Amino acid sequence: MESMPVQQDPDDPRSALAEADRARQRLAAGLRLPTGLHPALAAAVAVQVGTAAYGIAAQTAAGLVVALAGAAVFLGVAALALHQFRRVNGVRVDGLASQIVLGAGAMSTLVYMGAFVAATWAAFESRWWLVAATAAAGGVGYAFCALRWWHTYRQDPAAHAGGASPRVLGVLAVLACLGLVALVATG
Amino acid sequence: MAELDPLIHPPARLQVVTTLSAVSEAEFATLRSVLEVSDSVLSKHISALADAGYVCSRKGVRAGRRTTWIRLTSAGREALREHVAALRRLIDVVD
Repeated sequence: MESMPVQQDPDDPRSALAEADRARQRLAAGLRLPTGLHPALAAAVAVQVGTAAYGIAAQTAAGLVVALAGAAVFLGVAALALHQFRRVNGVRVDGLASQIVLGAGAMSTLVYMGAFVAATWAAFESRWWLVAATAAAGGVGYAFCALRWWHTYRQDPAAHAGGASPRVLGVLAVLACLGLVALVATG
Repeated sequence: MAELDPLIHPPARLQVVTTLSAVSEAEFATLRSVLEVSDSVLSKHISALADAGYVCSRKGVRAGRRTTWIRLTSAGREALREHVAALRRLIDVVD
C-alpha cells in the first residue's frame, strides 16, 4: 500500500488516538462471558481429567470409552461456551478460545498437567477419592486461570485477542483424542 | 520509518481498525453499535478498507439472521501498528 505524507494538525493525532482507544475499550468493556462459564468449565475439566486418569489406569476398552466420553464432555462444554459467547456478543475472540480449549498460558498448563499426573498416579494406586480431589482441584484451577486471562484481556484487548483459530482448535482436539486412545491402548 | 497511512488516517477509519484489533472477528451490527455510526457510513469504510486488503468479510448466520462478519487482516494489523507509531512520533515532536 502506497503511503503519502498527510498534513496534520498537531492537536489531531492525540485526540484521534484517544478516540480510537475509547472505541476499542468500549467494545471490550461491553463483552460478557456466558453465564455460569467458570463453574461449567471447572466441572468439565474435572470430568475430563478424572475419566482420562481412570481410562489410562484401567487399560481396558471400557476405560477407553470412559476416557473418550470425558473428553467429549469437555469439548462439548467448551464448544457451547464459545458459541454462546459469540452469539451474545457478536464477536469472536480466538484468545478466549485458546484459553478455554487449550489452557494456553504457563499457569493453565501447569495446573492442568499437575492435576492430570496426580490423578493418573492416584488411579493406578486405586485411590479414587484422590482422583476425584485432584481432578476437582485441576478444574477449579483451570477455570481460575481462564478468569484471570479474561481480566488481562479486558485491560489490553489488542494484545490478547489473538489465539488459535477454530479450525486449528478442532484439529488439536482430534489429535488429543487420538493421543488419549494411544495412551490407553499402549499403556 | 513508518509513515502516516492515508487510508486509515481519517478518525472514523482509525476507530474501525482499532476496534477490530480487539477481537478476531466482529459482526457488522456489533461494530456499528460500538462506533455509533449508520449502516451506510460503516459500509463505506469497510469497503474502502477491504479494497486495500486491511479487512475481509464473510457472510454468516446469527440467531437465524443473515449477518456479515468482519476481521482485520494481518496487513491491516501491520498498517494500524505503523500508523499508530507514526502518530505517536508526531505527538512526541509536538511535545
